[in-house]
Amino acid sequence: MTANLVNILMGGVFHAAILFLVAAGLQVVFGVQKIFNLACGSFYALGAYTGVSAVGYFTAHGGPPALFIIPLALGGLAVGLVGVVVERGLLRFVYDRDETFQLLLTFALVLMLEDLIRMTWGTAPVSTGGLYLNYGQARILGATVPVYNLIVIAASLAIALGIGWLLSRTVFGRIIRAAADNREMAEALGVDMRWVYVRVFTLGTMLGTLGGALVIPATAAMSEMGIELIVEAFAVVVIGGLGSMRGAFVGALVVGILRSVAISVYPELEMLLIYLIVIAVLLWRPSGLFGAAAA
Amino acid sequence: MLAVQEIDVFIHASHILRRVSLEVREREVVCLVGRNGAGKTTTLRTIMGYHRPRGGGIRFNDVPLHERRTHEIARLGLGFAPEESGIFPDLTVAENIEISTWTRPGGRPAAERLAAAYEIFPVLKQYGARKGPEMSGGERKMLSIARALALDPDMLLLDEPFEGLSPAIVPTVAAGLNEITQRGHAILIAESNIYHVPDFATRLYVIERGEIIFAGRPDDVRKDAAALRAIGGHA
Repeated sequence: MTANLVNILMGGVFHAAILFLVAAGLQVVFGVQKIFNLACGSFYALGAYTGVSAVGYFTAHGGPPALFIIPLALGGLAVGLVGVVVERGLLRFVYDRDETFQLLLTFALVLMLEDLIRMTWGTAPVSTGGLYLNYGQARILGATVPVYNLIVIAASLAIALGIGWLLSRTVFGRIIRAAADNREMAEALGVDMRWVYVRVFTLGTMLGTLGGALVIPATAAMSEMGIELIVEAFAVVVIGGLGSMRGAFVGALVVGILRSVAISVYPELEMLLIYLIVIAVLLWRPSGLFGAAAA
Repeated sequence: MLAVQEIDVFIHASHILRRVSLEVREREVVCLVGRNGAGKTTTLRTIMGYHRPRGGGIRFNDVPLHERRTHEIARLGLGFAPEESGIFPDLTVAENIEISTWTRPGGRPAAERLAAAYEIFPVLKQYGARKGPEMSGGERKMLSIARALALDPDMLLLDEPFEGLSPAIVPTVAAGLNEITQRGHAILIAESNIYHVPDFATRLYVIERGEIIFAGRPDDVRKDAAALRAIGGHA
C-alpha cells in the first residue's frame, strides 16, 4: 500500500519536475515579453529528439553509457539556442501587434516545428532504450524508483532555485523585472530592450528544450508530444497564475501529482481531472494561486 | 547642449507639435510651461526618442538624437523622470536607483553616483530595502529624480516634478533641483503651473496648442499678455 502510494507520488513529482521547466520558460517569456508562447511545447519536443540523437551519437562513438546524461543535457541546452533565431527572426516583429496575432504566430510555429521534427526524425517514436537504468533503482519505503528520476527531480529543483536567485539577486534579474514592470521607463534608464528580449526568450526556450531532453530516457519521443505538453503547461500556468515563477512551481506539482493519481486510479479521468481543477481555479481565483489580483 | 530645432510631431493622425524649437545651454534651468494638453509631455517624450519627429531635428552635445533609440539617448547622458514617476514597483527603492549604474557603466564610479543621488534627497536613504508602492507621491517624485541623476547625466528632463505634491514638500524638491544645478547638471522642466517655476530658472518657454508662443527670461513673461493668458498667470 505505502509502496504503491510512493510510486504514484514519485511518478507525479518526476512529471512535475519536467512540467515545471517548460512552464517556467513559458512564464519568464510571458512576464517580460507579454507573449503567450504556445511553441514552448514544440521546444520541449525538439529538446527530446535532440537529446535522443545526442545520446545515440555519444554511445555510438564509444562514450560510456553511464555518462549519457551529459550529452543529453548539453544537447537539450544547445538546441535551445534556436530561441535566438525565433526571437530575432519572427517574434520581434509582432511585439506591438494584437495578442491574437501573437498567439497565431506561435501556433504557426508549433505546426512548423512539428513538421520539421517529422522530416528530421521520421514519424516512428524514438527513444534511448533502457539506458537510464544504468543508474540503478532506489528503494524508498518499499517502492522501487529509478535513480535517474531522482536526478531529474533534483536537477529541476536546483534550476528552480537558480531561477529564483537569477531574478532576485543578479543585475540581469533586476533589469528584466524592471523591464517587465515598465518597458518604456526601463529604456529611459538605458536598458536595451532588444538585448533583454533575445536573452529572456532564449532562456525560456532553453528551459523547454532541457525539459524535453531530460524526460526522454524515461519515455519515448513522439512528434505530437509537444501539443500534449502545451495543454498541461497551460493548466500549470492557469493554476499557478500567469507570469509567476512560484505559480509555475506549485502548478506543476499539482498537475503532475493529480495526473499520476488519476492514471493509477482511473486512467480515463487523466485529462478530465486536470481540466476540472483548471475550471475550479478559474472560477474561484481567476488570476491563479500566485497571479497578480485582477484589476 | 540640447537644441530642439523646428520639430513636427504627429501621434496617430493628430499634429501635436508644430515647429517647436527650444534650447538648453550648460548649467541652465529651463522651464517649458503650458496647460495640460499643450504639448509639454510630447516634447519631452520626443527628446527621449519615444516619438519620432516628422520634420526638424534634435541635437544633444552635437549628436543627432532623433535617429537614436531611447536607451541610447539615455546613455548619451539624458536623465528622464516622467510625470507618473515610473517607479518599478517590483524593485526596492535602492534597486530603483541603482539600475542606471548597471545600464550605463563608465564615467564616475557607481558608489559616487549613488551617493550623489541620495545626497539630493536624503529621505530616500531610510527606504533602502522597501519597495516602490510603499511610498507617498512626493517620495516617488524624489525617487524618480534621484534615479535619473544616478545615470550621471549631463542634463535632466523632468516632467511636472511638482505636480500633486503637498505644499510642504514643494520647497524640498525645489531645493533638491537647485542643488542639482549647483553640481553642473542642466535641467529642462515641463510645468503646467507658472507658480511652480523655481526662482532659479534661467529661461522659460511657453507652449500653447503645440506651438512655442514665448521664449525668454522668467521676468519678461509677465509683460507678454498672450503668454500670460495661455498659462493662467496674472501680471
